[in-house]
Amino acid sequence: MRTSLNNIKEVDDHLLNQSAPQDALLFEVKLIIDPELKYTVMWHKQTLSIVNQYGRNNLRAMIENVHQQLFTQPEHQTFRQKILRLFYKR
Amino acid sequence: MVCNNAPAETEKLIIKLYKSAFPLVAKYVSKMGGGLDDAKDIFQDALVIYYEKAVAGNLELQKVDDKAYLLGIAKHLWLKKFRDDKNNLPLTDDLDLEYEPEIAISANKVLHYLETAGKKCMEILSAFYYHKLPMKDIAELFGYAGERSVTVQKYKCLEKVRETVKQNALAYEDFAE
Repeated sequence: MRTSLNNIKEVDDHLLNQSAPQDALLFEVKLIIDPELKYTVMWHKQTLSIVNQYGRNNLRAMIENVHQQLFTQPEHQTFRQKILRLFYKR
Repeated sequence: MVCNNAPAETEKLIIKLYKSAFPLVAKYVSKMGGGLDDAKDIFQDALVIYYEKAVAGNLELQKVDDKAYLLGIAKHLWLKKFRDDKNNLPLTDDLDLEYEPEIAISANKVLHYLETAGKKCMEILSAFYYHKLPMKDIAELFGYAGERSVTVQKYKCLEKVRETVKQNALAYEDFAE
């Protein structure tokens, strides 16, 4: 891999706690001597948080899609009636 | 819960969980005086929480009963909803993901941008970081020759998305000043 990708891997491993012990130590040293690296780590963290948000949004969309299927398709009519009875028989 | 699967399998799993556990949650919510929409919201939040715990391998009991577990989370969410006396659940409080509140404003904007401009990268990255699929499966799912090539692609995507996040945040800072 090219150097910039290896640098990304290094930050990623650090954040996911996957660095080998000697690499972890080396990274701590780099953080002290390279003031820019702290910011790189910050951007990386934000990136992972946005990726997770994206993944969660997709999961939610999938769940909503399942809900729509169960509440509209004819083959799930029994299930649907079972649920609706719980709310409209009161 | 069997997880870390491709999307098609995950959907099957959600259907299965919906059919087995939603009636229990709906019954509970109905008994507590809630409506169908409340039951739906709470159940969907419970599914997200359960899913995220399961993919991260954070479920204490390996052979945990899906139905009982989901009902447990749902009851907790229902009581919390009452306590907070709000319609919107602060879902993130219950999850282990780290979110930085200060980036929330620009995060939505950048997320929206990435959903269109960098969709493939976001799909690959979320398959790895959120859904925690094995690299072998990700390679297969996205048509890469093997783990090595998809791993390189993953770092390329991280580089690209990280640069977008950075540029966007900096632009927002300029705007805010």
